[in-house]
Amino acid sequence: MITIEKLNSFGADTAEGLGRCYGNEALYLRLVNMIPAEGNFAVLEEALGAGDLDKVFEAAHALKGVLGNLSLTPMYQICSEITELLRARTETGCAALLAELLRQRDELSVMCSE
Amino acid sequence: MKQLMAAGGMKRRVLIVDDEMINRELLGAMLAQSYDVAFAENGAQAMEALAEEEHGFSLILLDLMMPVMNGFEVIARCRADARLRNVPIIVMTSEKSAEVKSIRAGAVDFIAKPYDMPEVILARCERIIELSEDRSIIRSTERDKVSGLYTRGYFFAYLQRLLPRLTAPMDALVLNINRFHILNELLGHEEGDRILGTIGAQLKALTAPMRGIACRSESDTFFLLAERQEEYETLIAELQKRVGEQTGARDLRLRAGVYHCPNDGTNPENWFSRAKAACDRIRGQYSALTATFNNELHELTVFRERLSSDVQDAIDNRGFVVYFQPKYRIQGERPVLASAEALVRWIHPELGFISPGEFIPLFEKNGLIHKVDHFVWREAAAQINRWREQYGVTLPVSVNVSRVDIFDLALEKKLLDIVEAFSLAPGDLMLEITESAYADSAEQLNEVIASLRNRGFKIEMDDFGSGYSSLNMLTAIPIDVLKLDMQFVRTMLSDEKKRRLVELVMDIAAFLEVPVVAEGVEEEEQLRALKDMRCDLVQGYYVSPPVPAERFGELIEKELQEKGDWHDNH
Repeated sequence: MITIEKLNSFGADTAEGLGRCYGNEALYLRLVNMIPAEGNFAVLEEALGAGDLDKVFEAAHALKGVLGNLSLTPMYQICSEITELLRARTETGCAALLAELLRQRDELSVMCSE
Repeated sequence: MKQLMAAGGMKRRVLIVDDEMINRELLGAMLAQSYDVAFAENGAQAMEALAEEEHGFSLILLDLMMPVMNGFEVIARCRADARLRNVPIIVMTSEKSAEVKSIRAGAVDFIAKPYDMPEVILARCERIIELSEDRSIIRSTERDKVSGLYTRGYFFAYLQRLLPRLTAPMDALVLNINRFHILNELLGHEEGDRILGTIGAQLKALTAPMRGIACRSESDTFFLLAERQEEYETLIAELQKRVGEQTGARDLRLRAGVYHCPNDGTNPENWFSRAKAACDRIRGQYSALTATFNNELHELTVFRERLSSDVQDAIDNRGFVVYFQPKYRIQGERPVLASAEALVRWIHPELGFISPGEFIPLFEKNGLIHKVDHFVWREAAAQINRWREQYGVTLPVSVNVSRVDIFDLALEKKLLDIVEAFSLAPGDLMLEITESAYADSAEQLNEVIASLRNRGFKIEMDDFGSGYSSLNMLTAIPIDVLKLDMQFVRTMLSDEKKRRLVELVMDIAAFLEVPVVAEGVEEEEQLRALKDMRCDLVQGYYVSPPVPAERFGELIEKELQEKGDWHDNH
């Protein structure tokens, strides 16, 4: 089960995230719990593999919005970097960032399920 | 401002449009305390929600990047729609460049992602709604010169502002003068206006204690919103008496319809249309001064609203089923299957089978028929394709094209897209246009039909003889098939005049060189008579009722077995 403590150690800005939920911890944690199953990770991975940069941008952008809203800062930052790279139309570095993003997603997923 | 929003009255409605569920939930939680929140996952869903007459939205919060229909398109569509033009839109984005673009497109403000704290977002929404409502109040002319009351436009703009602050239960009343037009004729318009003015002044005075707000909606119709009273007979009787005394119009009779306003965010315009329905019920009944929108009326309205709001669901979840009624060619030795007509059936998950007589006229009236039509076109085309694959024959299917479709600028494209999607020729989908549509929009229709025919579509004139057709019109508007209204077939054997009329129609059709389909053939004798009159095709229970696609497949099979060369004729 995910907890505020775990999220803090993960690097999330839980104070901010909770603030967006009017301090409603149950709501906040429920929304965070939805992240591991978020479909855009797979879209991102697939689109990058296929070299479809527009699609990569769209997926990263969508993730960025959601992750930012939940203040999952480390993951949010990676998505921001990916969108910045793509804005400059460079693909270099995207794969490494994506790998790190997926690693963090998995870490979060473990925290949610253990 | 805070206390204004906190007042326990009716909440304004806000629509959140975002494809990410997490964003919707988060924002929804922020706004739910102050607003009645609705959600849409993409632009198309948003347009659906906005199209519902029932609810007026005070604000749209719109994501820009979404599948199906993006935010810019939603902005463009709202700005092009007179009814939605004044609903403020706030875009939600993390793109600086998009902010400028969306403001230029017509959004009023933006909220950055990640969201600010709830207090900031709420304050922003409040401010935007307030500004927009103030603007619409300023835009409306405040006073109606004749009655001295508010104008209709101002009245509703004012109600929008007022409703969240109201705490007492309210009633909507519609007042009307019995046979005012006669009074106007007898006494002259000047005197008529004086009566309207007196009603305005007295209505205002009498309803002040019940905190009434009134406007003159049109001609002799007044709207009143007031704190709920036990009864309104006394009010109307007193108003009638005072106006009679002051103007000398002593036999002036007023009537009022009452509707108890619900506290559910429904649109005030809706309340008054219900109060009007109650008011119309006692038109001309001099003993009754008031009528309340009751269960009986209510139920019918609710039922209709239910049907209207479930249309999309029926399309998405196969509540609508398309049946096919075969048409047979009768001039040969035996009737030969020639084509079919697609007919929609509705099996509602909760209400069960709903008669087409119940929903088709309703949807024709409120415009939703275009959705049903579109669904049927697609289904019919898909079925033609399936039969072709299954049996190797292309059987043309007639589908209905309603009056509203004629005015759809994208009609041709929609139809072409559908036939193309299933690799059909345009002529495989035959378009039935009802005769009455010819009468009241001939010019527009002429253009649309000419264009569709140019593309290869076949046009059938449906219900011919039921309405207003003139011979003139028949020559002016090119058609490919005449469908004889079933009333003729039903009566032609017993009524000699009707029989002659049918013969006449056959002659006209022969002159125009178009085939005739007789509908509603139920007996062998009718079939024989029609055959003698050189009618080409028949449709009706005698040959076959409308059947599901599968069952129709058996009819095709039977035809293939009975006649080897049938295949080649199609």
